[in-house]
Amino acid sequence: MRKVMYLEFERCIGCRACQAACRECGGHDAKERNYVEYVDFFENRQTYPMLCMQCKDPACARVCPANAIQITEEGVVLSAMEEKCIGCRNCTFGCPFGIPKFDFEENKMYKCDMCYDRTQHEIAPMCASVCPSDAIRFIDHDEMMDLRRRRTQMNLIEGKKPSENNKWDYVPEFFGVYSD
Amino acid sequence: MTQFVVKPGVKNLKHDGEKLITTHCCYCGMQCGMHIRVNKKSGKVVGVEPRYDWPVTMGKMCPKGVTAYQTVDHPERIKKPLIKKNGEFVESSWEEALDLIENNYKKLQAEHGKNALSVFGGVSMTNEKCYLVGKYARVALGTRYVDYNGRFCMSSAAGGFMKTLGIDRGSTLPWPELEHTDCFFMAGTNTAECHPTTIQWLWRARDKGAKMIVADPRETPTARIADVHLDLKAGTDSALANGMLHLLIREGYVDETYVNERCNNYAGLKEAVKLFTPEYTSELTGVATEKIIKAAHIYGQSPRSVVMFARGVEQQNKGVDNVALYTSMALLRGQIGKFASGVATFTGQGNGQGGREHGQKADALPGYRKIDNPEHVKYVAGVWGIKPEEMPEAGVSAYEMFDEIQNGNIRSMHVICSNPAVSAPNNHYIWDSFKKLDFMVVSDFFLSETAEFADVVLPTTTWAEDEGTTTNLEGRVIRIRKVREPLGESKTDWEIMQLIAERMGKGKFFPYKNVPEIYEEFRIASKGGKADYYGITYDRIEKEDGVFWPCPDEDHPGTPTMFRESFGTPDGKANLPAVLWQEPGEVPTEDYPHTLTTGRVVFHYLSGTQTRRTQFLMEKCPEPYVEMHPELASQYAFLDGDNVYLETRRGNMKVKAKITKAIRKDHVFIPYHWGKELSVNKLTNPSLDPTSRMPEFKVCAVKLRKA
Repeated sequence: MRKVMYLEFERCIGCRACQAACRECGGHDAKERNYVEYVDFFENRQTYPMLCMQCKDPACARVCPANAIQITEEGVVLSAMEEKCIGCRNCTFGCPFGIPKFDFEENKMYKCDMCYDRTQHEIAPMCASVCPSDAIRFIDHDEMMDLRRRRTQMNLIEGKKPSENNKWDYVPEFFGVYSD
Repeated sequence: MTQFVVKPGVKNLKHDGEKLITTHCCYCGMQCGMHIRVNKKSGKVVGVEPRYDWPVTMGKMCPKGVTAYQTVDHPERIKKPLIKKNGEFVESSWEEALDLIENNYKKLQAEHGKNALSVFGGVSMTNEKCYLVGKYARVALGTRYVDYNGRFCMSSAAGGFMKTLGIDRGSTLPWPELEHTDCFFMAGTNTAECHPTTIQWLWRARDKGAKMIVADPRETPTARIADVHLDLKAGTDSALANGMLHLLIREGYVDETYVNERCNNYAGLKEAVKLFTPEYTSELTGVATEKIIKAAHIYGQSPRSVVMFARGVEQQNKGVDNVALYTSMALLRGQIGKFASGVATFTGQGNGQGGREHGQKADALPGYRKIDNPEHVKYVAGVWGIKPEEMPEAGVSAYEMFDEIQNGNIRSMHVICSNPAVSAPNNHYIWDSFKKLDFMVVSDFFLSETAEFADVVLPTTTWAEDEGTTTNLEGRVIRIRKVREPLGESKTDWEIMQLIAERMGKGKFFPYKNVPEIYEEFRIASKGGKADYYGITYDRIEKEDGVFWPCPDEDHPGTPTMFRESFGTPDGKANLPAVLWQEPGEVPTEDYPHTLTTGRVVFHYLSGTQTRRTQFLMEKCPEPYVEMHPELASQYAFLDGDNVYLETRRGNMKVKAKITKAIRKDHVFIPYHWGKELSVNKLTNPSLDPTSRMPEFKVCAVKLRKA
């Protein structure tokens, strides 16, 4: 799978469509696996989405005493296998991002699997599909790198802007050298 | 015709045993494209799949859209007609329910005249149904009293556009062009919560450096990132807009050629705005002068700009003036009728645009014709097969219908697709009016708060059980497909109107066997009107990703951009307004020292009849709350989560406090999606706009104390 999940926190509008959509994914038993949180609602309405980072060497899998958390050949970190999970919750403590959730009734862990039933066919996961603000995107690795470069470049252009609304007038003369 | 519409190369996930049917969301005016998952064997609706190739929304959905399908096979659906016997609803047969309606209707009309009956419609229905509501009231029941819930939603925008531009089409430009806009001036629109799938276009424009100016008493997600947030007091939009116009003129940002060629009354406007210096504007609106000046410079210098607004400016007793003034900002800059620029209102209801054009309004006939124009009456009477003199005269607006009930003129009401027991202002008055009715019929698929007052509740279908067309907020006419067979004994609204018409002896005027037949008649009825749908066919909609009205014949390409050459007024020129300052209906006093404003949250739609029955949405937002600034909260020693008692001159309520700095210090905000004791509309002020008859939901004076 060449595609990656790309998050831009500041685009998030806090609508929680990603969470509603997460419940719609075939293998998700109508339980969402992602998070949308306020940075600090006392201050303002900024929210941010949080999903599994699909780590290369995932802490959740490493701390699992039962080897219940499998990684697919595409690198997707799956929920604990039902027959292996012993319900110790080590994974929920081990994950530095606080992603795995625990179902106390079923006594098992569940987590974001990047909508494996969709992404294995290169169809975007539900959260990225519906996100109205493009805070969550499912894009080619190359496109992601391009976006990262463009962002820095835009910051430089914006930073140099002498007055309001002159985006059409301004062309960077020379990349990377700026002083006021 | 195809049920599953997809462009080559677009991948969707299909499960075994399921089929996908392409349609649009049932909620707001965005009308997001979606495919509904249907189990092939059971025919049940089981899920949703994004429609990645719908050009307006690109597969994006808000949480309401994602969960919309869950209201179809919902356990609380009404599946049989209900008749109230001894204060309890009892399931009955259609025969019995229709007998009861026929007897009561005929008796009331014999005793009190034709106008004893009334119809209260809604615009979360297809064009076909909305068109039929007007015809049903005027032909089947023969009453002048018909109006609809758009009076609480869209009528000020309609009035303002009619006055200024001559035609009321919600957006003068197609949505995908927004990506290329340089500056958005957004007033009274909480776009991120109320029309979330628009955000993708705004953010894309931002990526390219577009500027945003947001006028709102609350720091909404769009206001938070805006270049200028004009944090005005609720109900002061006309002052702010006048102040902006003053600066556009003073700073030389007016496109003089455009204004001279295409607008009337420039001198009058100039004279009227003279008074509105930044200092005076600041005094009225509570916005710092520097912000007003900065906003004017940004807006004035932008080569391509769009002025956008929504209920925040429209739900005021000067809503029409607000719309006319904000629209004039676009006119002075010469923006209307050009690429990626213009003016737009965010239609609140699914078919708020189409539903208000075709004769559900007290004074309107299909195709945006007027009932006080004999030529218009003659044409529509011809299409309907009645004599022009049989056409009833204009009725009264939605809220005023309740006055007529109180006066004893209206004795019966048929509420179709609406829940005024929650959504109308001054709830106590509305509830009392329902109790005064001799006989009340409600068509709905859930037992709404309004339905609880009814004598007969007729089970209708949801949007997924019928086909038709709607018109989205751009003015694009789109197709709603039938996804499943009607549940239980429920019938579509058009079948219900047809059945009652038959009972009233008017069956021959409603001979439809299916929806396309209604559409054919409706096309002809709209032909030659301002909102001309004649050239739009189901086939074209499918092939062309929707067609924009006006579209007078089948070879016409439709009109994505309005007013390229001229405006819809008789002389083809836009009318600039000259408006003086006018206070809101209620201003804070010593007894009621703060301002209460109301609005939506992202998780609920209108009166919440559907969204309050959806599990995910209720988990995220189970009850209303009062949002206030910590400075105001500390004056009363409110902590976050404390119960707050609020009282206005009309009513009171108790809700929990939600404390945030993202609101003006002198304002409190409560969302309006709940009924009965949780309804904020018990408190709101029914001060009506003189033209649009829109109540002032957005401003009233309130007092607080600990509960």
